[in-house]
Amino acid sequence: MELRVSERVNRFRWVFLPVGLCALTAVGAHAAADVVGDRLLFLVDRVDAFFDAIWSSWSVTKPLVELVGLTQRTWFARAIALCWELAADALIAIPLLAYEEREAVEEWRLGRDLLRRARSPLRLVRPLATLLVAFAGACSVARMVQGSVQLALHLSWLGHVARALVLLSALVVLVPRAAFRSLEHARTARHGIAAAVILVPLLIAAVGAWR
Amino acid sequence: MKEPVIGGRLVAMRERLPLLELFLAALCLWGAWYHTPAGALVRTAGAFVFRTRSTARPLLAYFGAGTLVPPRTPPALAGPVPPAQALAFGVAAVLDGSAVELAPRLRELSQRLGSDDAALLAVFCGEDAAHFAVDEARTMALDDLARALPPRSEACIARAAQAAMLGGAYALGWPLPETVQITSPFGVREHPILGHRRLHAGIDLGASPGMPVRAVAAGVVRRASSDGINGRILVLDHGRGVVTTYCHNDALLVRDGQRVERGQIVARSGSTGLTTGPHLHYQIDLAGEPVDPLRFRTHAPKFAAGASD
Repeated sequence: MELRVSERVNRFRWVFLPVGLCALTAVGAHAAADVVGDRLLFLVDRVDAFFDAIWSSWSVTKPLVELVGLTQRTWFARAIALCWELAADALIAIPLLAYEEREAVEEWRLGRDLLRRARSPLRLVRPLATLLVAFAGACSVARMVQGSVQLALHLSWLGHVARALVLLSALVVLVPRAAFRSLEHARTARHGIAAAVILVPLLIAAVGAWR
Repeated sequence: MKEPVIGGRLVAMRERLPLLELFLAALCLWGAWYHTPAGALVRTAGAFVFRTRSTARPLLAYFGAGTLVPPRTPPALAGPVPPAQALAFGVAAVLDGSAVELAPRLRELSQRLGSDDAALLAVFCGEDAAHFAVDEARTMALDDLARALPPRSEACIARAAQAAMLGGAYALGWPLPETVQITSPFGVREHPILGHRRLHAGIDLGASPGMPVRAVAAGVVRRASSDGINGRILVLDHGRGVVTTYCHNDALLVRDGQRVERGQIVARSGSTGLTTGPHLHYQIDLAGEPVDPLRFRTHAPKFAAGASD
């Protein structure tokens, strides 16, 4: 009976597996973008102070100084974080929807082959970012599961077990597939430098989101 | 390639793998659906297509673990706020309760959980949630504690953040001696130099040149710069969404990113920038929105003759 269910589920792998990989990476990208929110606010403040000093030098441009106040600065900082996250989603999460499953052995062989042929470091930015962001996503999802289990059932040990199981399963089942698909996608992807500008800070932030 | 020899149990596990994959994919989708702006976009688009109401928050509210919420309008104060009870006044303003009754409970929770922010979470999200957050979070700050909680805690986190913000504002001191009079209040007014009507986002205090300006609470210098409108401007971030601004100073005594303590002299008042004379423009922003500093005080300085809306 259980196997029959498993077989039926197996028929829809081509749908839920890519969607799961995409969702995992999206969760990780949000965790990473959220980590740098405060730093972005400081950065926006510095940039605004710099431009205020310039605008206030001439009477014509003086009104521009008050155009951007604290409300707008806070909004800008959050909007930058949002745009950054959505750009990262477009670069590394959406391509995972095209994941086509192969035998694990074949995926491993193909992955090594792709790695060997990826001479430019720019080609490795996407897979590396996907790997680290997916790891951050796995940590986030596992934490959410722990919180939900622990607060619903009031069993601390069960929450910890659920977290460990989800984290381990996601690291074994989903994260390597996300990295493999990204490696495959990086071979044909364009805009390498633009992608690196967006993804390099994100992969550093993703490490900050691991917990 | 030759198929590797694996045991019967391993074969059975492999056959059941799709169930585990489906379960993991569902968990990831659940996380993305409720926890990310991308999920909110999909939910909103879905609600638009199916003509239903989306429950997604505004996209920018997904940052800061849901603690970046618009401030509540605080109720008028009946009496002075003792600094030790400022947080209780913030909680009372959100719960429409009595600060005097809430203060002992908050104090007890704060001692038990190790921080005021954790005590706030306990009041709004329950003690179990607060204990869990304290165990899991990296720091005891509200946004970090909130990050540890599952997505269903959104609403209570938002209320705790509002209480923290109001509590933080009630705890603020005053930048100048209270004998210094108010020369221009908060609100829409005719600009004395530019002429047109616009919001005066803070209050003007008639400080004499060189008078020491003190930090109204501990915090971090977010901006110490100079321009032709605000003069030498200082912005202090006190955490919990509370930010204070001090404009038209003669000299700034602190640097960007420096940590300051409550009562520390951070500037000397002056008449730099676009002014009609020496004064200090003092402004409070809650979650980026300017609020009237006098709303958080019962003993306000007197208004100078001629000061008007």
